[in-house]
Amino acid sequence: MLSAQELVWLMAAVAKGDRAAFERLYAATRAKLYGVVLRILRRQDLADEVMQETYLKIWNSAGQFDPALASPITWMVAIARNRAIDLVRKKTEVSIEEESDVFDFAADTPDPLAKREMTEELQRLLACMARLDEERRRLVLFAYYHGWSREQLAAKFEKPVNTIKTWLRRALLDIRECLGA
Amino acid sequence: MTDDTDTPDGLAAEYVLGTLGADERAQAEALIGNDPAFARLVRRWERRLGELHAMMHSVEPPPDTWARIQARIDGAAPRAATLAQPDQAVVAAPEANVVALSARLHRWRRVTAGLGALAAVLAALVAIQAVYPTALPGPLRPKPIEIVKTIETPVNPGRFVAVLQQNAAAPAFILTVDVATRTASVRRVSAEQPAGKSYELWLVSDRFPAPRSLGLVGASEFARPALASYDPATVSGATYAVSLEPEGGSPTGAPTGPILFTGKLVESVPPSP
Repeated sequence: MLSAQELVWLMAAVAKGDRAAFERLYAATRAKLYGVVLRILRRQDLADEVMQETYLKIWNSAGQFDPALASPITWMVAIARNRAIDLVRKKTEVSIEEESDVFDFAADTPDPLAKREMTEELQRLLACMARLDEERRRLVLFAYYHGWSREQLAAKFEKPVNTIKTWLRRALLDIRECLGA
Repeated sequence: MTDDTDTPDGLAAEYVLGTLGADERAQAEALIGNDPAFARLVRRWERRLGELHAMMHSVEPPPDTWARIQARIDGAAPRAATLAQPDQAVVAAPEANVVALSARLHRWRRVTAGLGALAAVLAALVAIQAVYPTALPGPLRPKPIEIVKTIETPVNPGRFVAVLQQNAAAPAFILTVDVATRTASVRRVSAEQPAGKSYELWLVSDRFPAPRSLGLVGASEFARPALASYDPATVSGATYAVSLEPEGGSPTGAPTGPILFTGKLVESVPPSP
Protein backbone atom coordinates (compact mmCIF):
# COMPACT_ATOMS: atom_id res chain seq x y z
CA MET A 1 0.00 0.00 0.00
CA LEU A 2 1.27 3.40 -0.92
CA SER A 3 1.34 6.18 1.63
CA ALA A 4 -1.53 8.66 1.81
CA GLN A 5 0.76 11.35 0.38
CA GLU A 6 1.69 9.16 -2.60
CA LEU A 7 -1.99 8.53 -3.23
CA VAL A 8 -2.65 12.29 -3.19
CA TRP A 9 0.01 12.80 -5.87
CA LEU A 10 -1.44 9.99 -7.96
CA MET A 11 -4.90 11.49 -7.61
CA ALA A 12 -3.63 14.86 -8.85
CA ALA A 13 -2.07 13.14 -11.87
CA VAL A 14 -5.28 11.21 -12.54
CA ALA A 15 -7.20 14.50 -12.46
CA LYS A 16 -5.00 15.63 -15.35
CA GLY A 17 -5.85 12.49 -17.34
CA ASP A 18 -2.66 10.48 -16.62
CA ARG A 19 -3.56 6.87 -17.43
CA ALA A 20 -0.33 5.43 -16.00
CA ALA A 21 -1.03 7.15 -12.69
CA PHE A 22 -4.56 5.78 -12.80
CA GLU A 23 -3.21 2.25 -13.25
CA ARG A 24 -0.93 2.69 -10.24
CA LEU A 25 -3.84 4.08 -8.23
CA TYR A 26 -5.91 1.06 -9.21
CA ALA A 27 -3.13 -1.37 -8.27
CA ALA A 28 -2.74 0.29 -4.87
CA THR A 29 -6.44 0.41 -3.99
CA ARG A 30 -8.27 -2.37 -5.86
CA ALA A 31 -8.10 -5.02 -3.13
CA LYS A 32 -9.37 -2.62 -0.47
CA LEU A 33 -12.28 -1.46 -2.61
CA TYR A 34 -13.13 -4.95 -3.79
CA GLY A 35 -13.20 -6.19 -0.19
CA VAL A 36 -15.58 -3.36 0.72
CA VAL A 37 -18.05 -3.91 -2.13
CA LEU A 38 -17.91 -7.71 -2.09
CA ARG A 39 -18.87 -7.76 1.56
CA ILE A 40 -21.91 -5.59 0.86
CA LEU A 41 -22.97 -7.25 -2.41
CA ARG A 42 -21.95 -10.87 -1.71
CA ARG A 43 -21.89 -11.65 -5.41
CA GLN A 44 -18.80 -11.46 -7.59
CA ASP A 45 -20.66 -10.37 -10.72
CA LEU A 46 -22.28 -7.44 -8.88
CA ALA A 47 -19.06 -6.54 -7.11
CA ASP A 48 -17.25 -6.53 -10.45
CA GLU A 49 -19.87 -4.21 -11.95
CA VAL A 50 -19.61 -1.82 -9.00
CA MET A 51 -15.80 -1.84 -9.27
CA GLN A 52 -16.09 -0.69 -12.89
CA GLU A 53 -18.59 2.04 -11.99
CA THR A 54 -16.48 3.15 -9.04
CA TYR A 55 -13.20 3.50 -10.95
CA LEU A 56 -14.98 5.17 -13.86
CA LYS A 57 -16.33 7.71 -11.39
CA ILE A 58 -12.89 8.12 -9.78
CA TRP A 59 -11.36 8.72 -13.23
CA ASN A 60 -14.00 11.31 -14.08
CA SER A 61 -14.12 13.04 -10.69
CA ALA A 62 -10.51 13.00 -9.51
CA GLY A 63 -10.45 16.78 -10.05
CA GLN A 64 -13.06 17.16 -7.33
CA PHE A 65 -11.01 15.30 -4.75
CA ASP A 66 -9.89 17.69 -2.00
CA PRO A 67 -7.05 16.38 0.18
CA ALA A 68 -8.04 18.91 2.86
CA LEU A 69 -11.36 17.08 3.34
CA ALA A 70 -10.47 13.40 3.15
CA SER A 71 -7.66 10.97 2.47
CA PRO A 72 -7.74 9.51 -1.06
CA ILE A 73 -8.60 6.01 0.13
CA THR A 74 -11.44 7.28 2.35
CA TRP A 75 -12.83 9.27 -0.57
CA MET A 76 -12.60 6.25 -2.88
CA VAL A 77 -14.17 3.88 -0.35
CA ALA A 78 -17.08 6.32 0.11
CA ILE A 79 -17.73 6.24 -3.66
CA ALA A 80 -17.54 2.44 -3.75
CA ARG A 81 -19.80 1.98 -0.71
CA ASN A 82 -22.42 4.38 -2.09
CA ARG A 83 -22.51 2.54 -5.43
CA ALA A 84 -22.72 -0.85 -3.72
CA ILE A 85 -25.46 0.22 -1.31
CA ASP A 86 -27.51 1.85 -4.07
CA LEU A 87 -27.33 -1.40 -6.02
CA VAL A 88 -28.18 -3.61 -3.08
CA ARG A 89 -31.17 -1.41 -2.12
CA LYS A 90 -32.48 -1.78 -5.67
CA LYS A 91 -32.27 -5.55 -5.39
CA THR A 92 -34.82 -5.89 -2.64
CA GLU A 93 -34.98 -9.62 -3.21
CA VAL A 94 -31.49 -10.02 -1.78
CA SER A 95 -32.10 -11.09 1.79
CA ILE A 96 -29.75 -11.43 4.69
CA GLU A 97 -30.38 -15.18 4.57
CA GLU A 98 -28.07 -15.32 1.57
CA GLU A 99 -25.19 -14.43 3.80
CA SER A 100 -22.14 -16.29 2.64
CA ASP A 101 -20.03 -18.31 5.04
CA VAL A 102 -16.95 -16.67 3.62
CA PHE A 103 -17.90 -13.53 5.50
CA ASP A 104 -18.98 -15.14 8.71
CA PHE A 105 -16.15 -13.77 10.80
CA ALA A 106 -17.24 -11.24 13.38
CA ALA A 107 -17.78 -7.80 11.97
CA ASP A 108 -15.88 -6.10 14.75
CA THR A 109 -12.69 -8.14 14.42
CA PRO A 110 -10.06 -5.78 13.07
CA ASP A 111 -7.95 -6.93 10.19
CA PRO A 112 -4.64 -7.76 11.91
CA LEU A 113 -2.68 -6.34 8.97
CA ALA A 114 -4.65 -3.12 8.93
CA LYS A 115 -4.20 -2.66 12.65
CA ARG A 116 -0.58 -1.71 12.15
CA GLU A 117 -1.60 1.19 9.96
CA MET A 118 -4.32 2.51 12.22
CA THR A 119 -4.53 6.25 11.84
CA GLU A 120 -5.02 8.61 14.72
CA GLU A 121 -8.53 9.40 13.42
CA LEU A 122 -9.45 5.72 13.47
CA GLN A 123 -8.11 5.28 17.00
CA ARG A 124 -10.24 8.19 18.19
CA LEU A 125 -13.30 6.82 16.40
CA LEU A 126 -12.83 3.37 17.90
CA ALA A 127 -12.37 4.87 21.36
CA CYS A 128 -15.69 6.67 20.93
CA MET A 129 -17.40 3.53 19.65
CA ALA A 130 -16.10 1.63 22.65
CA ARG A 131 -18.19 3.95 24.83
CA LEU A 132 -21.43 2.84 23.14
CA ASP A 133 -23.56 -0.02 24.50
CA GLU A 134 -22.39 -3.36 23.16
CA GLU A 135 -25.61 -3.85 21.17
CA ARG A 136 -25.58 -0.37 19.60
CA ARG A 137 -21.93 -0.69 18.68
CA ARG A 138 -22.69 -3.95 16.93
CA LEU A 139 -25.59 -2.26 15.15
CA VAL A 140 -23.37 0.50 13.76
CA LEU A 141 -20.64 -1.93 12.75
CA PHE A 142 -23.07 -4.31 11.01
CA ALA A 143 -24.56 -1.35 9.16
CA TYR A 144 -21.17 -0.05 8.05
CA TYR A 145 -19.52 -3.31 7.08
CA HIS A 146 -22.49 -5.13 5.54
CA GLY A 147 -24.37 -2.13 4.16
CA TRP A 148 -27.55 -3.31 5.84
CA SER A 149 -30.71 -1.23 5.84
CA ARG A 150 -32.75 -0.51 8.98
CA GLU A 151 -35.16 -3.27 7.88
CA GLN A 152 -32.36 -5.83 7.62
CA LEU A 153 -30.92 -4.72 10.95
CA ALA A 154 -34.39 -4.99 12.52
CA ALA A 155 -34.66 -8.61 11.34
CA LYS A 156 -31.16 -9.45 12.52
CA PHE A 157 -31.50 -7.77 15.92
CA GLU A 158 -35.18 -8.76 16.35
CA LYS A 159 -36.32 -5.23 17.11
CA PRO A 160 -38.91 -2.93 15.47
CA VAL A 161 -37.60 -0.80 12.60
CA ASN A 162 -38.39 2.42 14.48
CA THR A 163 -36.36 1.24 17.46
CA ILE A 164 -33.45 0.48 15.15
CA LYS A 165 -33.71 3.96 13.64
CA THR A 166 -33.71 5.61 17.06
CA TRP A 167 -30.78 3.49 18.26
CA LEU A 168 -28.77 4.20 15.12
CA ARG A 169 -29.31 7.94 15.34
CA ARG A 170 -28.61 8.05 19.09
CA ALA A 171 -25.42 6.06 18.57
CA LEU A 172 -24.32 8.36 15.74
CA LEU A 173 -25.08 11.45 17.82
CA ASP A 174 -23.04 9.98 20.68
CA ILE A 175 -20.16 9.35 18.30
CA ARG A 176 -20.39 12.91 16.97
CA GLU A 177 -20.34 14.38 20.48
CA CYS A 178 -17.50 12.12 21.56
CA LEU A 179 -15.40 13.08 18.55
CA GLY A 180 -16.21 16.74 19.22
CA ALA A 181 -16.09 17.60 15.53
CA MET B 1 -43.95 11.51 16.88
CA THR B 2 -40.76 13.36 16.19
CA ASP B 3 -37.72 13.17 18.35
CA ASP B 4 -34.55 15.15 18.50
CA THR B 5 -32.72 12.75 16.18
CA ASP B 6 -35.08 13.56 13.27
CA THR B 7 -32.77 16.20 11.88
CA PRO B 8 -30.93 16.78 8.60
CA ASP B 9 -27.75 15.81 10.45
CA GLY B 10 -29.34 12.48 11.45
CA LEU B 11 -30.32 11.88 7.83
CA ALA B 12 -26.81 12.73 6.63
CA ALA B 13 -25.33 10.37 9.23
CA GLU B 14 -27.56 7.48 8.20
CA TYR B 15 -26.91 8.18 4.52
CA VAL B 16 -23.17 7.85 5.12
CA LEU B 17 -23.60 4.80 7.35
CA GLY B 18 -25.76 3.26 4.61
CA THR B 19 -28.91 2.31 6.53
CA LEU B 20 -31.46 4.28 4.47
CA GLY B 21 -33.92 2.53 2.16
CA ALA B 22 -34.09 3.30 -1.57
CA ASP B 23 -36.60 6.17 -1.14
CA GLU B 24 -34.66 7.93 1.54
CA ARG B 25 -31.36 7.45 -0.29
CA ALA B 26 -32.88 9.08 -3.38
CA GLN B 27 -34.05 11.96 -1.19
CA ALA B 28 -30.67 12.35 0.45
CA GLU B 29 -28.94 12.31 -2.94
CA ALA B 30 -31.34 14.95 -4.26
CA LEU B 31 -30.51 17.06 -1.20
CA ILE B 32 -26.76 16.66 -1.71
CA GLY B 33 -27.19 18.18 -5.16
CA ASN B 34 -29.58 20.94 -4.06
CA ASP B 35 -28.65 21.96 -0.57
CA PRO B 36 -25.02 22.93 0.08
CA ALA B 37 -25.58 22.87 3.85
CA PHE B 38 -26.77 19.27 3.66
CA ALA B 39 -23.86 18.33 1.39
CA ARG B 40 -21.50 19.71 4.05
CA LEU B 41 -23.17 17.58 6.73
CA VAL B 42 -22.62 14.50 4.55
CA ARG B 43 -18.95 15.35 4.03
CA ARG B 44 -18.47 15.74 7.78
CA TRP B 45 -19.99 12.32 8.42
CA GLU B 46 -17.83 10.81 5.71
CA ARG B 47 -14.86 12.18 7.57
CA ARG B 48 -16.08 10.92 10.95
CA LEU B 49 -16.92 7.38 9.85
CA GLY B 50 -14.72 7.00 6.79
CA GLU B 51 -11.75 5.55 8.62
CA LEU B 52 -13.70 2.42 9.55
CA HIS B 53 -12.75 0.90 6.21
CA ALA B 54 -9.23 0.41 7.52
CA MET B 55 -10.44 -2.56 9.56
CA MET B 56 -11.87 -4.40 6.58
CA HIS B 57 -10.14 -7.30 4.89
CA SER B 58 -8.82 -6.69 1.41
CA VAL B 59 -9.83 -9.07 -1.37
CA GLU B 60 -8.12 -9.24 -4.76
CA PRO B 61 -10.61 -8.59 -7.58
CA PRO B 62 -10.65 -10.89 -10.65
CA PRO B 63 -7.70 -10.17 -12.96
CA ASP B 64 -9.89 -9.02 -15.86
CA THR B 65 -11.54 -6.22 -13.86
CA TRP B 66 -8.84 -3.74 -14.87
CA ALA B 67 -9.34 -4.46 -18.57
CA ARG B 68 -13.07 -3.84 -18.16
CA ILE B 69 -12.48 -0.55 -16.39
CA GLN B 70 -10.18 0.57 -19.19
CA ALA B 71 -12.75 -0.44 -21.78
CA ARG B 72 -15.40 1.56 -19.93
CA ILE B 73 -13.14 4.62 -19.86
CA ASP B 74 -12.30 4.30 -23.55
CA GLY B 75 -15.94 3.78 -24.39
CA ALA B 76 -17.12 6.76 -22.36
CA ALA B 77 -17.26 10.27 -23.74
CA PRO B 78 -13.97 12.16 -23.46
CA ARG B 79 -13.64 14.11 -20.28
CA ALA B 80 -14.21 17.82 -20.28
CA ALA B 81 -10.83 19.50 -20.59
CA THR B 82 -11.73 21.82 -17.74
CA LEU B 83 -11.60 18.93 -15.28
CA ALA B 84 -7.86 19.29 -15.04
CA GLN B 85 -8.28 22.78 -13.62
CA PRO B 86 -9.35 22.48 -10.01
CA ASP B 87 -11.17 25.80 -9.88
CA GLN B 88 -13.36 24.79 -12.79
CA ALA B 89 -13.79 21.17 -11.89
CA VAL B 90 -16.88 21.76 -9.81
CA VAL B 91 -18.51 23.66 -12.64
CA ALA B 92 -17.76 20.85 -15.05
CA ALA B 93 -19.09 18.18 -12.72
CA PRO B 94 -22.40 16.62 -13.69
CA GLU B 95 -23.76 17.27 -10.21
CA ALA B 96 -23.53 20.99 -10.75
CA ASN B 97 -24.78 21.30 -14.28
CA VAL B 98 -27.57 23.73 -14.76
CA VAL B 99 -29.12 23.10 -18.11
CA ALA B 100 -32.20 23.75 -20.13
CA LEU B 101 -34.36 20.84 -19.21
CA SER B 102 -36.63 19.99 -22.06
CA ALA B 103 -34.12 19.37 -24.84
CA ARG B 104 -31.51 17.80 -22.60
CA LEU B 105 -33.89 15.42 -20.92
CA HIS B 106 -34.78 13.86 -24.25
CA ARG B 107 -31.14 13.55 -25.13
CA TRP B 108 -30.35 11.94 -21.80
CA ARG B 109 -33.17 9.51 -22.25
CA ARG B 110 -31.64 8.42 -25.54
CA VAL B 111 -28.24 8.14 -23.92
CA THR B 112 -29.40 6.15 -20.94
CA ALA B 113 -31.56 3.92 -23.12
CA GLY B 114 -28.39 2.95 -24.99
CA LEU B 115 -26.58 1.79 -21.87
CA GLY B 116 -27.06 -1.50 -20.14
CA ALA B 117 -29.81 -1.56 -17.57
CA LEU B 118 -27.39 -1.54 -14.67
CA ALA B 119 -25.31 1.25 -16.12
CA ALA B 120 -28.47 3.22 -16.76
CA VAL B 121 -29.39 2.97 -13.13
CA LEU B 122 -25.96 3.78 -11.81
CA ALA B 123 -25.39 6.70 -14.12
CA ALA B 124 -28.97 7.86 -14.07
CA LEU B 125 -29.75 11.48 -14.32
CA VAL B 126 -32.42 12.86 -12.10
CA ALA B 127 -33.63 16.07 -13.49
CA ILE B 128 -34.97 18.25 -10.78
CA GLN B 129 -36.64 21.52 -11.26
CA ALA B 130 -38.39 23.77 -8.91
CA VAL B 131 -41.45 25.39 -10.30
CA TYR B 132 -43.82 25.65 -13.20
CA PRO B 133 -45.71 28.62 -11.83
CA THR B 134 -48.07 28.81 -14.79
CA ALA B 135 -49.41 25.35 -14.03
CA LEU B 136 -51.03 26.70 -10.92
CA PRO B 137 -54.33 28.53 -10.84
CA GLY B 138 -53.83 32.30 -10.54
CA PRO B 139 -54.41 32.72 -6.80
CA LEU B 140 -52.01 29.88 -6.04
CA ARG B 141 -49.12 31.14 -8.11
CA PRO B 142 -45.91 31.59 -6.13
CA LYS B 143 -43.32 34.16 -6.98
CA PRO B 144 -41.97 33.13 -10.37
CA ILE B 145 -38.79 31.13 -10.01
CA GLU B 146 -37.04 29.12 -12.68
CA ILE B 147 -34.55 26.58 -11.43
CA VAL B 148 -33.62 23.64 -13.56
CA LYS B 149 -30.94 21.24 -12.51
CA THR B 150 -29.77 17.80 -13.43
CA ILE B 151 -28.22 15.71 -10.75
CA GLU B 152 -26.35 12.52 -11.31
CA THR B 153 -27.79 10.13 -8.80
CA PRO B 154 -28.43 6.41 -8.91
CA VAL B 155 -32.12 5.87 -8.46
CA ASN B 156 -34.44 3.08 -9.36
CA PRO B 157 -36.08 3.11 -12.75
CA GLY B 158 -39.52 4.61 -12.53
CA ARG B 159 -38.67 6.63 -9.44
CA PHE B 160 -39.45 10.33 -9.53
CA VAL B 161 -38.07 13.01 -7.27
CA ALA B 162 -39.29 16.57 -6.75
CA VAL B 163 -37.82 19.29 -4.63
CA LEU B 164 -40.51 21.55 -3.18
CA GLN B 165 -38.97 24.88 -2.44
CA GLN B 166 -39.25 28.63 -2.50
CA ASN B 167 -35.76 29.33 -3.67
CA ALA B 168 -32.78 27.33 -4.82
CA ALA B 169 -30.92 27.57 -1.54
CA ALA B 170 -33.67 26.20 0.64
CA PRO B 171 -35.38 22.96 -0.30
CA ALA B 172 -38.32 22.65 2.09
CA PHE B 173 -39.71 19.23 1.22
CA ILE B 174 -38.45 16.39 -0.94
CA LEU B 175 -41.08 14.21 -2.61
CA THR B 176 -40.19 10.77 -3.96
CA VAL B 177 -42.66 8.73 -5.99
CA ASP B 178 -42.26 5.14 -7.10
CA VAL B 179 -44.53 4.98 -10.12
CA ALA B 180 -44.61 1.19 -10.28
CA THR B 181 -46.12 0.84 -6.82
CA ARG B 182 -47.65 4.35 -6.72
CA THR B 183 -46.16 4.87 -3.31
CA ALA B 184 -44.80 8.21 -2.29
CA SER B 185 -42.95 9.70 0.58
CA VAL B 186 -42.38 13.28 1.62
CA ARG B 187 -39.49 14.34 3.76
CA ARG B 188 -39.55 17.62 5.64
CA VAL B 189 -36.17 19.21 5.21
CA SER B 190 -35.86 22.85 6.18
CA ALA B 191 -39.51 23.84 6.64
CA GLU B 192 -40.14 24.93 10.22
CA GLN B 193 -43.21 23.47 11.87
CA PRO B 194 -45.39 26.54 12.55
CA ALA B 195 -47.26 26.63 15.86
CA GLY B 196 -50.99 26.11 15.50
CA LYS B 197 -50.78 25.56 11.73
CA SER B 198 -50.42 22.56 9.43
CA TYR B 199 -48.77 22.02 6.06
CA GLU B 200 -51.01 20.40 3.47
CA LEU B 201 -49.80 18.83 0.23
CA TRP B 202 -51.80 19.37 -2.97
CA LEU B 203 -51.80 17.77 -6.37
CA VAL B 204 -52.43 20.35 -9.08
CA SER B 205 -53.32 18.89 -12.47
CA ASP B 206 -55.07 20.22 -15.55
CA ARG B 207 -57.22 17.10 -15.36
CA PHE B 208 -58.97 18.44 -12.31
CA PRO B 209 -60.70 21.80 -11.90
CA ALA B 210 -59.22 22.32 -8.42
CA PRO B 211 -56.19 21.12 -6.43
CA ARG B 212 -56.64 17.74 -4.74
CA SER B 213 -55.47 17.30 -1.18
CA LEU B 214 -52.87 14.58 -0.60
CA GLY B 215 -52.94 15.01 3.15
CA LEU B 216 -50.93 16.77 5.81
CA VAL B 217 -47.16 16.77 5.70
CA GLY B 218 -44.40 18.01 7.90
CA ALA B 219 -45.77 17.17 11.35
CA SER B 220 -43.07 14.53 11.49
CA GLU B 221 -39.95 14.09 9.39
CA PHE B 222 -41.81 11.74 7.05
CA ALA B 223 -45.25 11.53 5.51
CA ARG B 224 -46.76 9.11 3.02
CA PRO B 225 -49.13 11.08 0.78
CA ALA B 226 -52.13 9.26 -0.66
CA LEU B 227 -51.36 8.91 -4.36
CA ALA B 228 -52.61 5.39 -5.02
CA SER B 229 -55.95 6.51 -6.44
CA TYR B 230 -54.36 8.61 -9.23
CA ASP B 231 -53.20 7.16 -12.53
CA PRO B 232 -49.48 7.28 -13.35
CA ALA B 233 -49.83 9.94 -16.05
CA THR B 234 -51.59 12.28 -13.63
CA VAL B 235 -49.04 11.60 -10.91
CA SER B 236 -46.06 12.23 -13.15
CA GLY B 237 -47.52 15.30 -14.86
CA ALA B 238 -48.86 17.12 -11.84
CA THR B 239 -47.43 20.06 -9.94
CA TYR B 240 -47.16 19.56 -6.20
CA ALA B 241 -47.75 22.40 -3.80
CA VAL B 242 -47.64 22.83 -0.04
CA SER B 243 -49.93 25.37 1.58
CA LEU B 244 -50.12 26.65 5.13
CA GLU B 245 -53.47 25.71 6.65
CA PRO B 246 -55.22 25.87 10.03
CA GLU B 247 -54.18 23.07 12.36
CA GLY B 248 -55.56 19.76 11.06
CA GLY B 249 -55.78 20.90 7.45
CA SER B 250 -57.93 23.00 5.18
CA PRO B 251 -61.53 23.13 6.44
CA THR B 252 -62.91 23.56 2.91
CA GLY B 253 -61.08 20.85 0.96
CA ALA B 254 -59.33 23.53 -1.10
CA PRO B 255 -56.21 25.50 -0.20
CA THR B 256 -57.12 28.40 2.06
CA GLY B 257 -53.69 29.60 3.13
CA PRO B 258 -50.64 30.78 1.19
CA ILE B 259 -48.88 28.34 -1.15
CA LEU B 260 -45.38 28.23 0.27
CA PHE B 261 -43.58 25.58 -1.71
CA THR B 262 -44.10 24.05 -5.13
CA GLY B 263 -42.32 21.58 -7.34
CA LYS B 264 -42.78 19.17 -10.20
CA LEU B 265 -41.80 15.55 -10.47
CA VAL B 266 -39.32 14.75 -13.17
CA GLU B 267 -38.65 11.24 -14.35
CA SER B 268 -35.09 10.20 -13.78
CA VAL B 269 -34.71 7.27 -16.15
CA PRO B 270 -37.08 5.30 -18.33
CA PRO B 271 -39.17 2.88 -16.30
CA SER B 272 -38.25 -0.79 -16.35
CA PRO B 273 -39.62 -2.62 -19.39
